[in-house]
Amino acid sequence: MQISNYLIHEHRECDNFFAKAEELASRKSWEEAEKTFLEFANKTLLHFKKEEEELFPLFEELTGSSDGPTQVMKYEHDQVRGLFGKMAEALQKRDMQSYLSLSESMMILLQQHNMKEEQMLYAMCDRMMPMEKKSEVIERMEALKE
Amino acid sequence: MFQNSGLSLEQAPPISVVFRFFLAGSLFGIFGGVWLMMNGGSALDSSDSAGVVMTHILTLGVMLPFMFGALEQMLPVLGGVVIREPVKTAIRTQYPMLVGTIVLLCALRTSSPEAYLVAAILLSLAIVPISLKILSSLLAVKSHSSSSRGMGLALFNLLLLLFIALRLLAARNGLGGGEYYPELKSAHIAFGLYGWIALLIVSVSFQVIEMFYVAKAYPPALSHYLPPSLVILAIANLIGALHYPPLMPWLEGAMQLALLIYAIYTLERLYRRKRRAPDTTVRFWMLSMLSLSLSMLISIASKIFTPAPELEILNYILYFSFASGVLFAMTYKIVPFLTWFHLSSEGYLDAPMMHEVISPAYGKYHLWIELATILLAILSIFVPALWTLTGASMALSFIWLTIAVGGAWRKYLYTHRHSKRFDMGSFRL
Repeated sequence: MQISNYLIHEHRECDNFFAKAEELASRKSWEEAEKTFLEFANKTLLHFKKEEEELFPLFEELTGSSDGPTQVMKYEHDQVRGLFGKMAEALQKRDMQSYLSLSESMMILLQQHNMKEEQMLYAMCDRMMPMEKKSEVIERMEALKE
Repeated sequence: MFQNSGLSLEQAPPISVVFRFFLAGSLFGIFGGVWLMMNGGSALDSSDSAGVVMTHILTLGVMLPFMFGALEQMLPVLGGVVIREPVKTAIRTQYPMLVGTIVLLCALRTSSPEAYLVAAILLSLAIVPISLKILSSLLAVKSHSSSSRGMGLALFNLLLLLFIALRLLAARNGLGGGEYYPELKSAHIAFGLYGWIALLIVSVSFQVIEMFYVAKAYPPALSHYLPPSLVILAIANLIGALHYPPLMPWLEGAMQLALLIYAIYTLERLYRRKRRAPDTTVRFWMLSMLSLSLSMLISIASKIFTPAPELEILNYILYFSFASGVLFAMTYKIVPFLTWFHLSSEGYLDAPMMHEVISPAYGKYHLWIELATILLAILSIFVPALWTLTGASMALSFIWLTIAVGGAWRKYLYTHRHSKRFDMGSFRL
Protein backbone atom coordinates (compact mmCIF):
# COMPACT_ATOMS: atom_id res chain seq x y z
CA MET A 1 0.00 0.00 0.00
CA GLN A 2 1.18 3.53 -0.76
CA ILE A 3 1.61 6.06 2.08
CA SER A 4 -0.51 8.55 0.15
CA ASN A 5 -3.46 6.13 -0.19
CA TYR A 6 -3.44 5.40 3.53
CA LEU A 7 -3.17 9.02 4.72
CA ILE A 8 -5.43 10.58 2.05
CA HIS A 9 -8.14 8.15 3.13
CA GLU A 10 -7.75 9.53 6.67
CA HIS A 11 -8.02 13.12 5.39
CA ARG A 12 -11.32 12.31 3.69
CA GLU A 13 -12.61 10.49 6.77
CA CYS A 14 -11.88 13.56 8.92
CA ASP A 15 -13.58 15.80 6.31
CA ASN A 16 -16.75 13.73 6.60
CA PHE A 17 -16.89 14.14 10.39
CA PHE A 18 -16.13 17.85 10.01
CA ALA A 19 -18.97 18.35 7.52
CA LYS A 20 -21.43 16.41 9.68
CA ALA A 21 -20.54 18.40 12.84
CA GLU A 22 -20.90 21.67 10.95
CA GLU A 23 -24.30 20.69 9.55
CA LEU A 24 -25.52 19.64 13.02
CA ALA A 25 -24.32 22.92 14.53
CA SER A 26 -26.05 24.91 11.77
CA ARG A 27 -29.28 23.09 12.73
CA LYS A 28 -28.54 23.74 16.43
CA SER A 29 -28.51 20.00 17.22
CA TRP A 30 -25.91 20.77 19.86
CA GLU A 31 -25.48 17.42 21.60
CA GLU A 32 -25.02 15.50 18.36
CA ALA A 33 -22.79 18.29 17.03
CA GLU A 34 -20.55 17.99 20.11
CA LYS A 35 -20.28 14.23 19.71
CA THR A 36 -19.43 14.47 16.01
CA PHE A 37 -17.01 17.35 16.57
CA LEU A 38 -15.21 15.23 19.17
CA GLU A 39 -14.90 12.41 16.63
CA PHE A 40 -13.52 14.89 14.09
CA ALA A 41 -11.03 16.39 16.55
CA ASN A 42 -9.84 13.01 17.86
CA LYS A 43 -9.41 11.53 14.39
CA THR A 44 -7.53 14.62 13.18
CA LEU A 45 -5.26 14.68 16.24
CA LEU A 46 -4.49 10.98 15.85
CA HIS A 47 -3.66 11.61 12.20
CA PHE A 48 -1.26 14.40 13.23
CA LYS A 49 0.32 12.08 15.81
CA LYS A 50 0.89 9.42 13.16
CA GLU A 51 2.60 11.93 10.92
CA GLU A 52 4.68 13.63 13.60
CA GLU A 53 5.80 10.47 15.40
CA GLU A 54 6.26 8.07 12.49
CA LEU A 55 6.21 9.62 9.04
CA PHE A 56 8.02 12.94 9.51
CA PRO A 57 11.10 11.52 11.32
CA LEU A 58 11.50 8.98 8.55
CA PHE A 59 11.10 11.66 5.90
CA GLU A 60 13.68 13.83 7.67
CA GLU A 61 16.05 10.87 7.84
CA LEU A 62 15.63 10.17 4.13
CA THR A 63 16.08 13.78 3.05
CA GLY A 64 18.68 14.63 5.71
CA SER A 65 16.75 17.77 6.62
CA SER A 66 14.58 18.55 9.61
CA ASP A 67 13.77 22.18 8.81
CA GLY A 68 12.11 21.77 5.42
CA PRO A 69 8.54 20.70 4.59
CA THR A 70 8.03 18.78 7.85
CA GLN A 71 8.62 21.94 9.90
CA VAL A 72 5.97 23.76 7.88
CA MET A 73 3.54 20.85 8.36
CA LYS A 74 4.13 20.77 12.14
CA TYR A 75 3.59 24.52 12.35
CA GLU A 76 0.29 24.15 10.50
CA HIS A 77 -0.72 21.27 12.79
CA ASP A 78 -0.27 23.69 15.71
CA GLN A 79 -2.49 26.26 13.99
CA VAL A 80 -5.21 23.62 13.57
CA ARG A 81 -4.85 22.52 17.21
CA GLY A 82 -5.36 26.14 18.27
CA LEU A 83 -8.62 26.31 16.32
CA PHE A 84 -9.94 23.09 17.91
CA GLY A 85 -10.00 24.83 21.30
CA LYS A 86 -11.89 27.83 19.98
CA MET A 87 -14.42 25.64 18.13
CA ALA A 88 -15.03 23.53 21.24
CA GLU A 89 -15.60 26.73 23.23
CA ALA A 90 -18.14 28.00 20.67
CA LEU A 91 -19.93 24.64 20.83
CA GLN A 92 -20.07 24.77 24.62
CA LYS A 93 -21.49 28.29 24.48
CA ARG A 94 -24.01 27.16 21.84
CA ASP A 95 -22.76 30.06 19.71
CA MET A 96 -23.71 29.02 16.19
CA GLN A 97 -22.32 32.11 14.41
CA SER A 98 -18.91 31.76 16.05
CA TYR A 99 -18.79 28.03 15.41
CA LEU A 100 -19.66 28.40 11.72
CA SER A 101 -17.17 31.22 11.28
CA LEU A 102 -14.42 29.20 12.95
CA SER A 103 -15.34 26.09 10.99
CA GLU A 104 -14.97 28.07 7.75
CA SER A 105 -11.43 29.05 8.76
CA MET A 106 -10.71 25.50 9.91
CA MET A 107 -11.89 24.07 6.60
CA ILE A 108 -9.70 26.27 4.42
CA LEU A 109 -6.70 25.98 6.74
CA LEU A 110 -7.02 22.22 6.84
CA GLN A 111 -7.63 21.85 3.13
CA GLN A 112 -4.65 24.04 2.18
CA HIS A 113 -2.57 21.93 4.54
CA ASN A 114 -3.94 18.67 3.13
CA MET A 115 -3.26 19.79 -0.44
CA LYS A 116 0.40 20.47 0.39
CA GLU A 117 0.77 17.10 2.11
CA GLU A 118 -1.00 15.14 -0.60
CA GLN A 119 0.73 16.77 -3.53
CA MET A 120 4.20 17.22 -2.13
CA LEU A 121 5.06 15.41 1.08
CA TYR A 122 3.17 12.10 0.61
CA ALA A 123 4.11 11.98 -3.07
CA MET A 124 7.79 12.44 -2.12
CA CYS A 125 7.52 9.71 0.53
CA ASP A 126 6.00 7.31 -1.98
CA ARG A 127 8.75 8.08 -4.48
CA MET A 128 11.65 7.84 -2.06
CA MET A 129 10.74 4.90 0.17
CA PRO A 130 11.13 1.25 -0.82
CA MET A 131 7.90 -0.77 -0.60
CA GLU A 132 8.86 -2.71 2.55
CA LYS A 133 9.68 0.53 4.35
CA LYS A 134 6.28 1.94 3.40
CA SER A 135 4.47 -1.14 4.74
CA GLU A 136 6.48 -0.93 7.94
CA VAL A 137 5.60 2.77 8.48
CA ILE A 138 1.94 2.15 7.77
CA GLU A 139 1.92 -0.72 10.29
CA ARG A 140 3.51 1.49 12.93
CA MET A 141 1.05 4.32 12.23
CA GLU A 142 -1.84 1.86 12.41
CA ALA A 143 -0.66 0.72 15.85
CA LEU A 144 -0.79 4.26 17.29
CA LYS A 145 -3.73 5.13 19.47
CA GLU A 146 -5.29 8.50 20.41
CA MET B 1 12.62 34.51 -7.65
CA PHE B 2 11.03 31.50 -6.12
CA GLN B 3 11.51 29.51 -2.98
CA ASN B 4 10.05 26.26 -1.81
CA SER B 5 10.54 26.38 1.92
CA GLY B 6 9.73 28.51 4.92
CA LEU B 7 6.98 28.61 7.45
CA SER B 8 3.36 28.63 6.49
CA LEU B 9 2.92 32.41 6.72
CA GLU B 10 6.09 33.02 4.74
CA GLN B 11 4.67 30.82 1.97
CA ALA B 12 1.47 32.85 1.75
CA PRO B 13 1.70 36.03 -0.34
CA PRO B 14 1.35 39.38 1.49
CA ILE B 15 -2.28 40.34 1.70
CA SER B 16 -1.73 43.45 -0.44
CA VAL B 17 -0.54 41.33 -3.37
CA VAL B 18 -3.83 39.46 -3.68
CA PHE B 19 -6.13 42.33 -2.67
CA ARG B 20 -4.62 44.86 -5.11
CA PHE B 21 -5.44 42.56 -8.03
CA PHE B 22 -8.95 41.84 -6.72
CA LEU B 23 -9.66 45.55 -6.19
CA ALA B 24 -8.45 46.46 -9.68
CA GLY B 25 -10.67 43.72 -11.18
CA SER B 26 -13.67 44.92 -9.17
CA LEU B 27 -13.18 48.53 -10.32
CA PHE B 28 -13.09 47.41 -13.96
CA GLY B 29 -16.31 45.49 -13.25
CA ILE B 30 -17.96 48.74 -12.13
CA PHE B 31 -16.68 50.39 -15.31
CA GLY B 32 -18.21 47.51 -17.29
CA GLY B 33 -21.60 48.26 -15.73
CA VAL B 34 -21.25 51.97 -16.55
CA TRP B 35 -20.20 51.10 -20.12
CA LEU B 36 -23.33 48.98 -20.49
CA MET B 37 -25.46 51.86 -19.18
CA MET B 38 -23.85 54.19 -21.71
CA ASN B 39 -24.01 51.91 -24.75
CA GLY B 40 -27.05 49.70 -24.16
CA GLY B 41 -27.39 46.56 -26.29
CA SER B 42 -24.51 47.51 -28.61
CA ALA B 43 -22.14 46.82 -25.66
CA LEU B 44 -22.96 43.14 -26.18
CA ASP B 45 -22.77 43.20 -29.97
CA SER B 46 -19.50 41.67 -31.14
CA SER B 47 -19.69 43.49 -34.49
CA ASP B 48 -19.81 46.89 -32.73
CA SER B 49 -16.69 48.53 -31.28
CA ALA B 50 -18.64 49.12 -28.03
CA GLY B 51 -19.10 45.33 -27.81
CA VAL B 52 -15.40 44.65 -28.41
CA VAL B 53 -14.57 47.19 -25.69
CA MET B 54 -17.02 45.51 -23.28
CA THR B 55 -15.51 42.08 -23.93
CA HIS B 56 -12.01 43.41 -23.15
CA ILE B 57 -13.23 45.21 -20.02
CA LEU B 58 -14.54 41.87 -18.77
CA THR B 59 -11.59 39.71 -19.86
CA LEU B 60 -8.52 41.95 -19.48
CA GLY B 61 -9.98 44.35 -16.92
CA VAL B 62 -11.83 41.93 -14.65
CA MET B 63 -10.76 38.32 -15.27
CA LEU B 64 -7.00 38.83 -15.77
CA PRO B 65 -6.26 40.60 -12.45
CA PHE B 66 -8.50 38.18 -10.56
CA MET B 67 -6.62 35.33 -12.22
CA PHE B 68 -3.22 36.69 -11.15
CA GLY B 69 -4.46 37.43 -7.62
CA ALA B 70 -5.88 33.93 -7.23
CA LEU B 71 -2.74 32.35 -8.75
CA GLU B 72 -0.54 34.20 -6.23
CA GLN B 73 -2.66 32.73 -3.44
CA MET B 74 -3.08 29.21 -4.82
CA LEU B 75 0.34 28.44 -6.30
CA PRO B 76 2.12 27.92 -2.97
CA VAL B 77 -0.61 25.48 -1.96
CA LEU B 78 -1.09 23.64 -5.24
CA GLY B 79 2.44 23.60 -6.58
CA GLY B 80 4.72 24.60 -3.72
CA VAL B 81 5.68 27.64 -5.77
CA VAL B 82 6.27 30.84 -3.81
CA ILE B 83 7.02 34.06 -5.65
CA ARG B 84 9.94 35.94 -4.11
CA GLU B 85 9.65 39.72 -3.80
CA PRO B 86 5.89 39.30 -4.28
CA VAL B 87 4.99 42.97 -3.81
CA LYS B 88 7.55 44.18 -6.37
CA THR B 89 6.46 41.47 -8.82
CA ALA B 90 2.80 42.36 -8.32
CA ILE B 91 3.47 46.06 -8.91
CA ARG B 92 5.58 45.34 -11.99
CA THR B 93 2.68 43.26 -13.34
CA GLN B 94 -0.23 45.37 -12.22
CA TYR B 95 0.75 48.86 -13.36
CA PRO B 96 1.48 48.00 -17.01
CA MET B 97 -1.61 45.77 -16.96
CA LEU B 98 -3.82 48.60 -15.71
CA VAL B 99 -2.47 51.25 -18.07
CA GLY B 100 -2.20 48.77 -20.97
CA THR B 101 -5.85 47.74 -20.57
CA ILE B 102 -7.06 51.34 -20.47
CA VAL B 103 -4.99 52.25 -23.55
CA LEU B 104 -6.27 49.15 -25.39
CA LEU B 105 -9.88 50.09 -24.61
CA CYS B 106 -9.22 53.56 -26.06
CA ALA B 107 -7.51 52.00 -29.09
CA LEU B 108 -10.44 49.67 -29.73
CA ARG B 109 -12.76 52.68 -29.72
CA THR B 110 -10.55 55.07 -31.75
CA SER B 111 -8.63 52.57 -33.95
CA SER B 112 -5.47 54.60 -33.29
CA PRO B 113 -2.39 52.57 -34.43
CA GLU B 114 -0.20 54.38 -31.87
CA ALA B 115 -2.55 53.47 -29.04
CA TYR B 116 -2.60 49.84 -30.21
CA LEU B 117 1.21 49.79 -30.20
CA VAL B 118 1.46 51.24 -26.67
CA ALA B 119 -1.21 48.81 -25.41
CA ALA B 120 0.58 45.85 -27.01
CA ILE B 121 3.89 46.78 -25.37
CA LEU B 122 2.38 47.42 -21.93
CA LEU B 123 0.22 44.29 -21.88
CA SER B 124 3.14 42.16 -23.07
CA LEU B 125 5.29 43.63 -20.29
CA ALA B 126 2.55 42.83 -17.77
CA ILE B 127 1.76 39.29 -18.88
CA VAL B 128 4.92 37.73 -20.33
CA PRO B 129 7.51 38.03 -17.50
CA ILE B 130 5.28 36.80 -14.66
CA SER B 131 3.74 34.02 -16.79
CA LEU B 132 7.16 32.74 -17.89
CA LYS B 133 8.49 32.83 -14.32
CA ILE B 134 5.50 30.95 -12.92
CA LEU B 135 5.58 28.47 -15.80
CA SER B 136 9.29 27.72 -15.41
CA SER B 137 8.77 27.22 -11.71
CA LEU B 138 5.77 24.95 -12.27
CA LEU B 139 7.82 22.89 -14.73
CA ALA B 140 10.29 22.15 -11.93
CA VAL B 141 7.53 20.67 -9.72
CA LYS B 142 7.90 16.90 -9.70
CA SER B 143 4.44 15.90 -8.58
CA HIS B 144 1.51 17.63 -10.26
CA SER B 145 -2.19 17.47 -9.53
CA SER B 146 -4.77 17.97 -12.27
CA SER B 147 -5.24 21.48 -10.86
CA SER B 148 -1.61 22.61 -10.88
CA ARG B 149 -1.08 21.08 -14.35
CA GLY B 150 -4.25 22.77 -15.63
CA MET B 151 -3.28 26.14 -14.16
CA GLY B 152 0.08 25.88 -15.90
CA LEU B 153 -1.65 25.05 -19.18
CA ALA B 154 -4.01 28.01 -18.73
CA LEU B 155 -1.01 30.30 -18.28
CA PHE B 156 0.62 28.81 -21.38
CA ASN B 157 -2.60 29.45 -23.28
CA LEU B 158 -2.69 33.01 -21.99
CA LEU B 159 0.71 33.57 -23.62
CA LEU B 160 -0.57 32.05 -26.89
CA LEU B 161 -3.70 34.20 -26.61
CA LEU B 162 -1.50 37.28 -26.28
CA PHE B 163 0.50 36.16 -29.31
CA ILE B 164 -2.70 35.78 -31.38
CA ALA B 165 -3.85 39.21 -30.18
CA LEU B 166 -0.54 40.75 -31.27
CA ARG B 167 -0.88 39.02 -34.65
CA LEU B 168 -4.41 40.45 -34.97
CA LEU B 169 -3.15 43.92 -34.15
CA ALA B 170 -0.42 43.57 -36.77
CA ALA B 171 -2.99 42.46 -39.36
CA ARG B 172 -5.31 45.31 -38.39
CA ASN B 173 -2.53 47.82 -38.89
CA GLY B 174 -1.59 46.49 -42.33
CA LEU B 175 1.50 44.58 -41.21
CA GLY B 176 0.54 41.34 -43.01
CA GLY B 177 -1.85 38.45 -42.42
CA GLY B 178 -4.91 40.59 -43.17
CA GLU B 179 -6.42 37.86 -45.36
CA TYR B 180 -6.83 35.62 -42.29
CA TYR B 181 -8.24 38.39 -40.07
CA PRO B 182 -11.83 37.05 -39.58
CA GLU B 183 -10.58 33.49 -38.91
CA LEU B 184 -7.83 34.69 -36.56
CA LYS B 185 -10.36 36.81 -34.71
CA SER B 186 -12.65 33.80 -34.32
CA ALA B 187 -9.71 31.69 -33.06
CA HIS B 188 -8.75 34.52 -30.66
CA ILE B 189 -12.26 34.53 -29.17
CA ALA B 190 -12.38 30.72 -28.83
CA PHE B 191 -8.89 30.71 -27.30
CA GLY B 192 -9.84 33.37 -24.76
CA LEU B 193 -13.18 31.85 -23.80
CA TYR B 194 -12.29 28.15 -23.71
CA GLY B 195 -8.49 27.86 -23.79
CA TRP B 196 -7.93 30.42 -21.04
CA ILE B 197 -10.99 31.42 -18.94
CA ALA B 198 -12.76 28.04 -18.98
CA LEU B 199 -9.53 26.05 -18.63
CA LEU B 200 -8.47 28.08 -15.60
CA ILE B 201 -11.85 27.73 -13.89
CA VAL B 202 -11.99 24.00 -14.70
CA SER B 203 -8.50 23.45 -13.26
CA VAL B 204 -9.22 25.37 -10.05
CA SER B 205 -12.52 23.57 -9.57
CA PHE B 206 -10.93 20.10 -9.67
CA GLN B 207 -9.33 20.95 -6.33
CA VAL B 208 -11.75 23.43 -4.83
CA ILE B 209 -15.07 21.60 -5.29
CA GLU B 210 -13.87 18.39 -3.67
CA MET B 211 -11.96 19.98 -0.84
CA PHE B 212 -13.93 23.08 0.16
CA TYR B 213 -17.35 21.48 -0.12
CA VAL B 214 -16.42 17.89 0.82
CA ALA B 215 -17.71 16.57 -2.50
CA LYS B 216 -16.89 13.47 -4.50
CA ALA B 217 -13.67 13.72 -6.55
CA TYR B 218 -14.07 14.19 -10.30
CA PRO B 219 -13.61 11.03 -12.38
CA PRO B 220 -9.86 10.74 -13.16
CA ALA B 221 -10.63 10.50 -16.89
CA LEU B 222 -12.21 13.97 -16.72
CA SER B 223 -9.67 15.66 -14.45
CA HIS B 224 -6.64 14.16 -16.26
CA TYR B 225 -7.74 14.62 -19.85
CA LEU B 226 -10.04 17.66 -19.95
CA PRO B 227 -7.33 20.38 -19.45
CA PRO B 228 -4.89 19.01 -22.09
CA SER B 229 -7.83 18.30 -24.44
CA LEU B 230 -8.94 21.93 -24.20
CA VAL B 231 -5.38 23.06 -25.00
CA ILE B 232 -5.03 20.71 -27.98
CA LEU B 233 -8.46 21.66 -29.34
CA ALA B 234 -7.78 25.40 -28.92
CA ILE B 235 -4.43 25.08 -30.73
CA ALA B 236 -5.98 22.89 -33.45
CA ASN B 237 -8.68 25.56 -33.83
CA LEU B 238 -5.97 28.18 -34.32
CA ILE B 239 -4.23 26.05 -36.96
CA GLY B 240 -7.63 25.41 -38.55
CA ALA B 241 -8.22 29.18 -38.69
CA LEU B 242 -5.07 29.61 -40.78
CA HIS B 243 -5.19 26.49 -42.95
CA TYR B 244 -8.64 24.89 -43.00
CA PRO B 245 -11.44 27.12 -41.58
CA PRO B 246 -14.29 24.57 -42.20
CA LEU B 247 -12.77 22.52 -39.35
CA MET B 248 -13.31 25.30 -36.81
CA PRO B 249 -17.01 24.70 -35.95
CA TRP B 250 -16.20 21.04 -35.24
CA LEU B 251 -13.28 21.85 -32.98
CA GLU B 252 -15.23 24.54 -31.14
CA GLY B 253 -18.15 22.12 -30.85
CA ALA B 254 -15.85 19.54 -29.26
CA MET B 255 -14.67 22.09 -26.66
CA GLN B 256 -18.25 23.11 -25.96
CA LEU B 257 -19.39 19.51 -25.53
CA ALA B 258 -16.48 18.81 -23.16
CA LEU B 259 -17.38 21.86 -21.07
CA LEU B 260 -21.05 20.86 -21.01
CA ILE B 261 -20.09 17.44 -19.63
CA TYR B 262 -17.80 19.11 -17.08
CA ALA B 263 -20.58 21.49 -15.95
CA ILE B 264 -23.01 18.59 -15.45
CA TYR B 265 -20.44 16.67 -13.39
CA THR B 266 -19.76 19.75 -11.28
CA LEU B 267 -23.44 20.39 -10.64
CA GLU B 268 -23.89 16.77 -9.59
CA ARG B 269 -20.94 17.04 -7.19
CA LEU B 270 -22.22 20.28 -5.69
CA TYR B 271 -25.71 18.86 -5.29
CA ARG B 272 -24.45 15.74 -3.51
CA ARG B 273 -21.76 17.53 -1.44
CA LYS B 274 -21.36 16.39 2.15
CA ARG B 275 -20.87 19.90 3.53
CA ARG B 276 -24.51 20.92 3.91
CA ALA B 277 -24.28 24.04 6.14
CA PRO B 278 -25.65 27.14 4.36
CA ASP B 279 -22.99 28.66 2.10
CA THR B 280 -23.58 31.37 -0.51
CA THR B 281 -20.43 30.41 -2.41
CA VAL B 282 -22.06 27.07 -3.29
CA ARG B 283 -24.98 28.98 -4.80
CA PHE B 284 -22.55 31.10 -6.84
CA TRP B 285 -20.86 27.93 -8.14
CA MET B 286 -24.26 26.42 -9.00
CA LEU B 287 -25.37 29.58 -10.82
CA SER B 288 -22.08 29.52 -12.68
CA MET B 289 -22.36 25.88 -13.75
CA LEU B 290 -26.02 26.22 -14.76
CA SER B 291 -25.05 29.22 -16.89
CA LEU B 292 -22.17 27.29 -18.46
CA SER B 293 -24.45 24.33 -19.27
CA LEU B 294 -27.03 26.55 -20.97
CA SER B 295 -24.36 28.55 -22.77
CA MET B 296 -22.72 25.43 -24.16
CA LEU B 297 -26.09 23.96 -25.19
CA ILE B 298 -26.89 27.16 -27.10
CA SER B 299 -23.41 27.18 -28.69
CA ILE B 300 -23.75 23.57 -29.84
CA ALA B 301 -27.31 24.12 -31.11
CA SER B 302 -26.10 27.22 -32.99
CA LYS B 303 -23.82 24.98 -35.00
CA ILE B 304 -26.78 22.92 -36.17
CA PHE B 305 -29.43 25.63 -36.57
CA THR B 306 -28.92 29.24 -37.69
CA PRO B 307 -29.06 31.15 -34.40
CA ALA B 308 -31.31 34.14 -33.87
CA PRO B 309 -29.31 37.27 -32.90
CA GLU B 310 -31.09 37.23 -29.53
CA LEU B 311 -29.63 33.80 -28.79
CA GLU B 312 -26.10 35.09 -29.39
CA ILE B 313 -26.63 37.87 -26.85
CA LEU B 314 -28.18 35.39 -24.41
CA ASN B 315 -25.11 33.20 -24.85
CA TYR B 316 -22.85 36.17 -24.06
CA ILE B 317 -24.80 36.90 -20.87
CA LEU B 318 -24.70 33.25 -19.77
CA TYR B 319 -20.96 32.94 -20.34
CA PHE B 320 -20.39 36.11 -18.33
CA SER B 321 -22.60 34.64 -15.57
CA PHE B 322 -20.44 31.47 -15.64
CA ALA B 323 -17.17 33.39 -15.21
CA SER B 324 -18.43 35.98 -12.72
CA GLY B 325 -20.17 33.36 -10.54
CA VAL B 326 -16.87 31.53 -9.94
CA LEU B 327 -15.05 34.81 -9.46
CA PHE B 328 -17.49 35.87 -6.70
CA ALA B 329 -17.47 32.42 -5.06
CA MET B 330 -13.67 32.37 -4.90
CA THR B 331 -13.43 35.97 -3.66
CA TYR B 332 -15.85 35.33 -0.80
CA LYS B 333 -13.67 32.38 0.30
CA ILE B 334 -10.18 33.80 -0.30
CA VAL B 335 -10.59 37.37 1.02
CA PRO B 336 -11.97 36.64 4.53
CA PHE B 337 -9.66 33.65 4.93
CA LEU B 338 -6.51 35.62 4.04
CA THR B 339 -7.50 38.47 6.37
CA TRP B 340 -8.06 36.14 9.30
CA PHE B 341 -5.07 33.91 8.46
CA HIS B 342 -2.53 36.73 8.19
CA LEU B 343 -3.70 38.49 11.34
CA SER B 344 -3.94 35.38 13.50
CA SER B 345 -0.62 34.00 12.20
CA GLU B 346 1.04 37.34 12.97
CA GLY B 347 -0.13 37.01 16.58
CA TYR B 348 -3.15 39.34 16.74
CA LEU B 349 -5.36 37.59 19.27
CA ASP B 350 -8.40 39.74 18.40
CA ALA B 351 -8.11 39.03 14.67
CA PRO B 352 -11.61 39.15 13.17
CA MET B 353 -13.03 35.75 12.28
CA MET B 354 -13.93 35.03 8.66
CA HIS B 355 -17.60 35.85 9.10
CA GLU B 356 -16.65 39.10 10.83
CA VAL B 357 -14.51 40.11 7.85
CA ILE B 358 -17.37 39.55 5.38
CA SER B 359 -20.65 38.42 6.91
CA PRO B 360 -22.54 35.55 5.24
CA ALA B 361 -25.55 37.90 4.89
CA TYR B 362 -23.41 40.31 2.82
CA GLY B 363 -22.54 37.52 0.39
CA LYS B 364 -26.19 36.47 0.26
CA TYR B 365 -27.29 40.00 -0.75
CA HIS B 366 -24.64 39.92 -3.47
CA LEU B 367 -26.08 36.70 -4.82
CA TRP B 368 -29.47 38.40 -5.15
CA ILE B 369 -27.90 41.41 -6.90
CA GLU B 370 -26.09 39.07 -9.30
CA LEU B 371 -29.27 37.10 -10.01
CA ALA B 372 -31.12 40.38 -10.65
CA THR B 373 -28.34 41.48 -13.03
CA ILE B 374 -28.54 38.25 -15.06
CA LEU B 375 -32.33 38.30 -15.12
CA LEU B 376 -32.44 41.97 -16.13
CA ALA B 377 -29.85 41.33 -18.86
CA ILE B 378 -31.98 38.51 -20.30
CA LEU B 379 -35.10 40.70 -20.17
CA SER B 380 -33.20 43.55 -21.83
CA ILE B 381 -32.74 41.41 -24.97
CA PHE B 382 -36.47 41.76 -25.51
CA VAL B 383 -37.01 45.14 -23.79
CA PRO B 384 -33.97 47.25 -24.78
CA ALA B 385 -35.05 50.09 -22.49
CA LEU B 386 -33.90 47.89 -19.60
CA TRP B 387 -30.21 47.87 -20.62
CA THR B 388 -29.55 50.98 -18.52
CA LEU B 389 -31.00 49.30 -15.45
CA THR B 390 -29.01 46.14 -16.23
CA GLY B 391 -25.82 48.21 -16.42
CA ALA B 392 -26.65 49.87 -13.11
CA SER B 393 -27.27 46.47 -11.53
CA MET B 394 -23.97 45.15 -12.89
CA ALA B 395 -22.14 48.22 -11.56
CA LEU B 396 -23.83 47.69 -8.17
CA SER B 397 -22.73 44.04 -8.17
CA PHE B 398 -19.08 45.06 -8.58
CA ILE B 399 -19.45 48.00 -6.16
CA TRP B 400 -20.65 45.37 -3.66
CA LEU B 401 -17.54 43.32 -4.38
CA THR B 402 -15.24 46.37 -4.14
CA ILE B 403 -16.69 47.21 -0.72
CA ALA B 404 -16.19 43.60 0.41
CA VAL B 405 -12.52 43.51 -0.67
CA GLY B 406 -11.78 47.09 0.41
CA GLY B 407 -13.56 46.57 3.73
CA ALA B 408 -11.53 43.43 4.44
CA TRP B 409 -8.31 45.27 3.65
CA ARG B 410 -9.39 48.16 5.92
CA LYS B 411 -10.13 45.70 8.78
CA TYR B 412 -6.73 44.10 8.27
CA LEU B 413 -4.94 47.46 8.43
CA TYR B 414 -7.05 48.64 11.39
CA THR B 415 -6.20 45.51 13.41
CA HIS B 416 -2.55 45.96 12.48
CA ARG B 417 -2.50 49.53 13.75
CA HIS B 418 -4.74 49.32 16.78
CA SER B 419 -4.50 45.82 18.23
CA LYS B 420 -1.90 44.34 20.48
CA ARG B 421 0.36 41.78 18.88
CA PHE B 422 1.27 38.66 20.78
CA ASP B 423 4.91 37.70 20.28
CA MET B 424 4.62 34.18 18.82
CA GLY B 425 8.40 33.89 18.57
CA SER B 426 8.88 34.03 22.33
CA PHE B 427 7.08 30.71 22.67
CA ARG B 428 9.18 28.86 20.13
CA LEU B 429 11.89 26.64 21.56
